[in-house]
Amino acid sequence: MALVKLKEFCIPDKPEQVDACVAKYGDNALILAGGSFIHGLEARGLLSEVEALVDIRKLGFAGVTFSSEGLRIGAMTTFAQLEQLPELGSAPWLGALKDALTYPPMQIKNAATVGGCLAAACPFFDIPTALMALDCRLSVSKAGAKREMNLADLFAGLFENSLAPGELIMEAKLAKPAGRAASAFIKLEGTANDLAIVNAAAYISLDGSGKCQAARVTLGGGVGDNVVRSSSAEQVLLGQKLTEELLQRAADAVGQDIQPMADHRASAAYRLAMAKVFTKRALSQALSRLN
Amino acid sequence: MKQLISLEVNGDTHEIAVEADATLLSVLRDNLGLIGTKRGCDSGGCGCCTVHVDGKAMYSCMMYALSAQGRKITTIEGLGSEEKIDPLQDAFVKEGAVQCGYCTCGMIMTAKQLLHDNPHPDEDAIRHGIAGNLCRCTGYHKIVEAIKTAAGN
Repeated sequence: MALVKLKEFCIPDKPEQVDACVAKYGDNALILAGGSFIHGLEARGLLSEVEALVDIRKLGFAGVTFSSEGLRIGAMTTFAQLEQLPELGSAPWLGALKDALTYPPMQIKNAATVGGCLAAACPFFDIPTALMALDCRLSVSKAGAKREMNLADLFAGLFENSLAPGELIMEAKLAKPAGRAASAFIKLEGTANDLAIVNAAAYISLDGSGKCQAARVTLGGGVGDNVVRSSSAEQVLLGQKLTEELLQRAADAVGQDIQPMADHRASAAYRLAMAKVFTKRALSQALSRLN
Repeated sequence: MKQLISLEVNGDTHEIAVEADATLLSVLRDNLGLIGTKRGCDSGGCGCCTVHVDGKAMYSCMMYALSAQGRKITTIEGLGSEEKIDPLQDAFVKEGAVQCGYCTCGMIMTAKQLLHDNPHPDEDAIRHGIAGNLCRCTGYHKIVEAIKTAAGN
C-alpha cells in the first residue's frame, strides 16, 4: 500500500513505546489495529501524510466479559471473537450488536477489531451504529492517564475522532438495562461485502404498563459525518404504547435529523427513503424481541 | 528503506528484506514465489488473496508483512501434498468448481476455515461463509456443490 512518506513501522510491546513513537511523529503517526480499513483510508487520500504506523496488536486489550452489570469488550477484540459470546444470542437488549456482526465476511471478522472500527470514525460502518444504540461508553488511555467518554463524543467528523495523538481506546462498555429491553440492527448493502448504503439500529425498553420508557434510534451509512442519533424518532416513541403505526411515524421522523449524502452507492433521496424503511424494520424487529 | 523480517509460511521460516509498507500478499507472491495466492482487487473486496494467519482466513492484501511476523501463515501451497491433495481441492476438481481459476485458491482457503468451524454446513451457511470471495465465472453453484462434497453432505 502506497505510504509515500512512511519512515517507521513500530510494533510496540508496551504502551510507553506507543507514546515514544507518537511523540516523534505526532499527527502523522497512524495507529494500526486490525488493518481492515487501511485500503479505505488510502482510497480517500487519508494516508498520504502518514510517516509512522504503530501496530498495537501486541498490547493486549482483547477479550469480552459479560456480567450482571453488562458487557465489556476489549478494544482489540476481533468481530469473530465477539461473535462467539453466547449471551449475544440470548440477551434481547444486545440484539443490535448480534445483528450487526452477521454482515461482515469471514476475512473481515477475523481481522477487524472493535476499537479500530470505532476509532476509524467511518460513517459507513455498522458496529458503531449498533453500539451507539446501546449507549456505549469507552475507556481511553494515553501515557497511563485514563478517562471515560460516551461513544458519541468520540466522533469528531468525517473520519475524524476526538482522541489525542497516541490516545488509545482500551474498552467499550455496555451497561445492562433494567427491565424489558431489546434492540435490533439492519443494513442495506449493494453486495454481501460492501459498506452500508444505509444502516439503522433501534433500542427500546418498556415499563410495567407496556409503554416505551427509553428509546434510542441511530443511523449510519452516509446519513451524516458520523453515526446520527435521531432524537425526533425517539420523541415519537417515548411514553407511548408501541404500535406498528407509531413505529412508522417514528421512522418517518428520522428525516429531520439525518443529512443523507449522494455518492456512487446511492443518491441522497434514495438514502433518505431507505433510512425510513430500515429504521421501521429495526424498530419492528426490536419490538418483536420483547414479545 | 527495507527491513529484514522473519516470516513462517507453510511451516518454513524465511528471512526477507521488505519495504515497511509491503503487504503480506506482495511478499508471498513477489518475494517467495507463492503465486497460488492471487492479486485481484488488492483492496479487500474480492477474496482471491485469502490465506490463513494463525489458522484464520484473512485478506493478505490488507495485512502488512511486518504485522505478519511471529504468526503462522498458510497459503494454498500449504494444503495437502503433491501425492495427496486436500479433500477440498479434490472436491473442487471432482465437481468442476473451477472455470478461469482465479478465485479458486482464495475460495478454498475460505472454505477450509468454514469447514473447520462448521464441519457440516447447510447451503445457507456455505453461501454466507464464502460471501467475502467473488467468482465472476461459475455463478457459485458448483463451488457450493464442491464444498458440500468436501463436507460429506
